[in-house]
Amino acid sequence: MKFALFTGCVAKGATRELMLSTTKAAEGLGFEFIEMKSASCCGAGVVSEKSPLLADALNARSFSIAEKQGLDIVTICSTCQGTLKKTEAHLNEDKEYKEKVNDILEEGGHQYNGKTRIKHFANILATEEGMARLKSRIKRPLTGLKVAAFYGCYVLRPSERSDIENPDNPTEMEDIFAALGATPVYYPSRVKCCGFPIVMMNKDASLGMSGNALQDAIENGADVVATGCPLCHLSLDSYQPEIELLQKKNQSIPILHLPQLVALALGYTPTQLGMDSHIVSTLKINQILSGSSSSH
Amino acid sequence: MIEHDVVIVGAGLAGMRCALEASKELDVAVLTKVYPSRSHSGAAQGGIAAALGNSEPDSWEEHMYDTVKGGDFLNDQDAVEEYVKAAPRIIYELEHMGCVFSRTPEGKIAQRSFGGHSKPRACFSADRTGHAILHALHEQLMKNEKSVKIYNEWYMHSLIVDGDRCNGVVVSNIQTGEVEVIRAKAVVFCTGGYGRVYKITSNAFASTADGVMAAFEVGIPLEDPEFVQFHPSGLFRQGILFSEAARGEGAYLLNDKGERFMENYAPSRMELAPRDIVSRAEQSEIDAGRGVNGEDCINLDLRHLGEARIMERLPQIRQLAIDFLGIDCITDPIPIQPTAHYSMGGIPVDKDCHVILDAENTRMNGFFAAGECACVSVHGGNRLGTNSLLDAVVFGERAGKSVLEYVRGKDFGNVNEGQEKTKVLEKFEDVFQRDGSESYNQIRDEMKEIMMSHCGVFRDEEKLKVCIDTLKGLQERFKKGKVTDKGKLFNTEIYEIMELGNMLSMAEVIAAAALYRQESRGGHSRTDYPKRDDKKFLHHSMVYDSSDGFVIKTKPVVITKFPVTERTY
Amino acid sequence: MATFRIKRFNPEKQPEPYFEEFELDIPDGATLLDCMNEIKWTLDGSLSYRMSCRSAICGSCAVKANGHAILACQRQGEHLLDNDDTITLEPLGNMKPIKDLAVDFTPFWDKINKVKPYLEPKDEPPAKERHQSPEEFLLIDDSSTCIMCGACYSDCNTLEVDDDFLGPAALAKAQRFVGDSRDSKTLQRVQDLSEPGGIWDCTHCGECVERCPKPARPFDRIKEIMTVALEKGVHNNNGARHALSFTNSVKRSGNLNENRIPVESMGFFNIPGLLSLIPIGLRMLLKGKVPPIIHHSIEEVDDVKRIFKELDQ
Repeated sequence: MKFALFTGCVAKGATRELMLSTTKAAEGLGFEFIEMKSASCCGAGVVSEKSPLLADALNARSFSIAEKQGLDIVTICSTCQGTLKKTEAHLNEDKEYKEKVNDILEEGGHQYNGKTRIKHFANILATEEGMARLKSRIKRPLTGLKVAAFYGCYVLRPSERSDIENPDNPTEMEDIFAALGATPVYYPSRVKCCGFPIVMMNKDASLGMSGNALQDAIENGADVVATGCPLCHLSLDSYQPEIELLQKKNQSIPILHLPQLVALALGYTPTQLGMDSHIVSTLKINQILSGSSSSH
Repeated sequence: MIEHDVVIVGAGLAGMRCALEASKELDVAVLTKVYPSRSHSGAAQGGIAAALGNSEPDSWEEHMYDTVKGGDFLNDQDAVEEYVKAAPRIIYELEHMGCVFSRTPEGKIAQRSFGGHSKPRACFSADRTGHAILHALHEQLMKNEKSVKIYNEWYMHSLIVDGDRCNGVVVSNIQTGEVEVIRAKAVVFCTGGYGRVYKITSNAFASTADGVMAAFEVGIPLEDPEFVQFHPSGLFRQGILFSEAARGEGAYLLNDKGERFMENYAPSRMELAPRDIVSRAEQSEIDAGRGVNGEDCINLDLRHLGEARIMERLPQIRQLAIDFLGIDCITDPIPIQPTAHYSMGGIPVDKDCHVILDAENTRMNGFFAAGECACVSVHGGNRLGTNSLLDAVVFGERAGKSVLEYVRGKDFGNVNEGQEKTKVLEKFEDVFQRDGSESYNQIRDEMKEIMMSHCGVFRDEEKLKVCIDTLKGLQERFKKGKVTDKGKLFNTEIYEIMELGNMLSMAEVIAAAALYRQESRGGHSRTDYPKRDDKKFLHHSMVYDSSDGFVIKTKPVVITKFPVTERTY
Repeated sequence: MATFRIKRFNPEKQPEPYFEEFELDIPDGATLLDCMNEIKWTLDGSLSYRMSCRSAICGSCAVKANGHAILACQRQGEHLLDNDDTITLEPLGNMKPIKDLAVDFTPFWDKINKVKPYLEPKDEPPAKERHQSPEEFLLIDDSSTCIMCGACYSDCNTLEVDDDFLGPAALAKAQRFVGDSRDSKTLQRVQDLSEPGGIWDCTHCGECVERCPKPARPFDRIKEIMTVALEKGVHNNNGARHALSFTNSVKRSGNLNENRIPVESMGFFNIPGLLSLIPIGLRMLLKGKVPPIIHHSIEEVDDVKRIFKELDQ
C-alpha cells in the first residue's frame, strides 16, 4: 500500500513527534508513505478566511502533485483532511470553478483531474485490509491501556464530506484501539471541538473546551487520549498545564498521536516515537503497558 | 391593567405591516400566540402579485379582471380596484425595506406565471416568498423596537366590547398562565385562517379560528365562511403545500393513465387554471377511479423541467417532497391531493379595514381586521394564488392608516378588568373540571374527518346535514373532555383545547353557510346545485350567532367595472 | 415498539429535570413531531413543546434528538432510532429550559437584534425597485433561508463555554446584510462583527452547518464575513492578524512559521497578549518542541509564490 503523505505543517514543527511516529508506524505496517515535499500548507481553514480561491488553488496544486505520482493522499491531521476534502468537493461540484482553478495552476505545470483520493490515516487503518494488516503485525498488544479517542472536528463535520461512517457516533478509532489490544473508552466529548482555532482570539473559551473534553475523558476512566489531529494535540497536551479545570483537581492525562499508539503496538519504544517530548508526561503509559502500575 | 393605544392580535404579514404603520404615531402592542417569525405567512411559497410589468406588459385593470373572474364575481370590485392599484407601490416598498426578491438578468424584480393570472405578475423569492416578506417585516420591527411592544406567546381569549365600541382584549401569557386585560383605543385582528378544521390541510397547527370566533361571540357576523379554498397540490396524506409555482414553471398534472386531464376541465389555462377549478378536476378524477394507483392522489410531474431549473426556482419545495415523502421531483412525479388551504371568508370589513356589523356597513368602533381573517371581500368566491400575500400587506398597511386616523383624540373606553378576567378564568376552570370521559384527540380527528368528507371539495345537502349533526354531537362531547395538565406553566394542552372549541364552532358555521348557499360558485361546489345562480345567490352570506342557532343574512356584492359573466378557462 | 426517552422539566412540580419513557409504535411515515404529538395526545397531555407549521418553515419545533439538534417535523421517527430502538429527546442546548422541551429563546433573539438585522440603504429609495443582479441575489440567497430555529445555537461548541459569543444564527443573519448589495453600512457592520464575541470567536467546529435544517450553513456565512472584514482592512484584532500572518507565512515559505505566527497574531504592541505566550513558549522550549528558528520552505515554493501573485494576495 503506497501513498503520497501530506504531512501538514505542524507535524514537522511543533509536533515533530507526529512525523517521527508516522514514519515508524508506516514502516511497521509495511506501508510506503512518500512525503509530498513540494505540497503547500492546506490552509487549515484560515487561508480561506482571506481568500477561498487562493486556498483552493493551493490545495488543487497539492492534489496534482499526488496525481502525477499516481498515488492517493494520506493525511495525518484532521484539519488537513477536512480542509483538503472541502477543496475537493468545491472543485468537483462546480465545473466552471474547477476550470478557473486549473487555469491558475497551468503555468506551474499542474492540473487537477479529480483522480486522487484523500484519506486520513485512521480511515486507511479502519478498512478490512488495514485492520488485517495491523492485527498481523502487532508485537506488543496494548493490554490494560484504556484509550479515549479525540477525533477532531474537521474530520467529522460537515458529515457529507467525511469518510467517517457515522460522524455523530464514530467507531473507527475505537475499533483501531481494540485491534491494538487496548480498551476503548467512549465518552461524549470525543466528537467535540478542542478549541484550538480560537486559542489566539479567546483563550478562555478555547481552554474551556479542551478542559471539558479532558475532564470528560478522565471521568470515564481513560488512561490516555489518542487524537488524529496535531492541532488538537497542541490544545490537549501543550496547553494542558494552563487548564484551570484540571489544575483545581490536580489532574492530568497524557495525549498521544494516533500513529504513536499504533507504533507502540507494533513494537517501537516510546523514545523512538518522541513520547518523551510531550508537555504532559507519557511515563504512565509505559508503566501501564509494562504492568508496573494499575490503571485507574 | 395593560394599556396601549393599539393592540394588534397576530404578527404575520398583516399584523406586522399594520404595526409598522400605526407605530409612526401611536403606542402599539402586537400579540402573537407564537413568535412573529413563526407566523403562518412564512409558509407561503409561490409569490406576491402586482402588475409591475417586469416580465411582460401588464396593467392593474388586467390584474383586477383576473381577480374578479377568479373570485367568480363575488368580489367587491371597489375594494379590488384599490387593492390592485396599491400593489406595485406595496411591492416596491417591501423591496426598499430590504426584502430579498429573485431578479431578472437586468436586476429588476422577477415575475412568474401563476394560476388564474393572465400575465406573469407573481413576484417571488425563490420558492419561499412568504418567508422572505415575513422576515423583512420582522427585521423592520426589530429596527423600530422602541415603538412596538411584542407580546410573544400570548393567547387572545376574547374581545371586550361595550355596545358598538371595542375597548380591548382579554389575553393570557402562555408561558406563565397569567390572565391579563389589555385596554386599547383600537384593536386589530390579523389572526389568519382556520384550515385546521379539515383533515388534509396546508395550514399550521396554529390556524384555528380563534380570532374569527372571538368576533363571532360578541355578535359580529362572519362573511362568506362557506368559501374555503382547497389548494390542488398538497403533498399526499400530509397536506403540506407544494407550491403552485411548480405549475407556474411548467409542471404537468397527470392521472393514473398518464393523461394531462386539465384539458377536459380548463383547456385554455390547463394546469394554471384557478385553484378551485384544478382541485375539482383532481377530485373528479379521483372520484372516477383515475387517481394514481387507485388512491386519492394525482401525479405532479416536474421531470421535464430539468435539474437546473428546479434547483434555481424550486429548491425548497423539492426538499419538502424529499423530507416528507421520500421522493425527488427531479427524477419522479410527486403524488398530491387537494388540501384545505385558504379561508376566503372571515370577519367582514369595509375597504378601510373597519369591522362592520351588517349589510349597511355599520362600523364596530375601534375594531379592525386585515389579512386572511378578514373578508373585504377582495377574493370573492375563490382567491388567486399570490393575491393573499398582497392582501395581507395592502390591508395591513390600510388598517394601520385607519387606526391612526381613528385613534386621534380618542380616550380609552370603559373596561371592567375584574369582570373580564373572571370570565376567562372561569373558562379555564370549566375546562379543568370536566369529567374526562371523552378524548379531545378523538373529537378533533372526527371533526377533521367529517369536514373533509362532507364539507370538502364537493358538497350536497344530505352530506352537509350529516356534517352539521355530527359537529353538534362533537360539541356536546367536547364538554366532557379529559385534561392531563392542570398547571399554569407553559400549558400547551389547555390552549389546544381552547383552539379545538373554536374550531368546532367554526366548522359548524362553515357547514351551515355551505348548506344555505344552494349554488356552486368559486371554491364552494354543490353537486346538487352544480351551476352558479346569480339570480338567487349573487350576494355575500353573513352568518350571525343567536340563542336559536345561526341566522344568515345577505350583503350585496359591489359590482363596478366588470359585469358578471360566465367563468370559463 | 419504540421507546421515547424524554427529558421532562416542570419547576412547578420539582426543581430538577428527570427522564421519562414512553412506548409507542411509530406509524408509517411519521415524523418525530408526529410521534411527539401522538405521545402528547394519547399518553400524556402535559408534555410541552413548541410546534406550528410542521413543514420545516416556521422553526418552532427544534429539539435535541439523541444528543444533537434537529427540526422534529423534518425527520422520520424511524430513522432516529438507536440500537436499542430508543429515541432520546432533550430540549435545545445553550438555552434555559422553561418546561419540558420548550426553552427560553430570549438570549437568542437578543443576539439577533444586536447585529442590526435590517437593511441600511445608502440613499433615498428610487421610485421603483432598487436593482440587484441575480449574482448579487446569490450572495444572500443561502443566509435568507434561515428559519431561526435555534438548532445551530443549541449545538455551537463556543457557546457552551462562552455565553458572550453572538452565535451562528446571529452571525449568519449578519451576513445576509454584509453581503447585500443594497446595504451601505458594510464597513461598520464588519467592524462591529470583528469585536470580541463576533466572527473571530467561532471555533470552526462545524456543528452549526451539520445541524442546520436549511441551506443556511452558518459557518460558511461567518467565513464570508471574515473575508469581507479582511478586505475592508479591519485588521486590528487577533483573529484578523492571525489570518493575515498565517496567509503571509504560506506566501513566504509555502508552510507555517510556527514561531512567527503567534507573535504576529497577538500584534507587536499587544503586551498582555505577548506575555500570555510566554508560558506555552517556555514549555515548548523546555521540551524541545520549538521549531527551528531558521525556517525552511517547501520544495518548489516559487510556484506557490506565483499563485499568490496571480491572485493578488
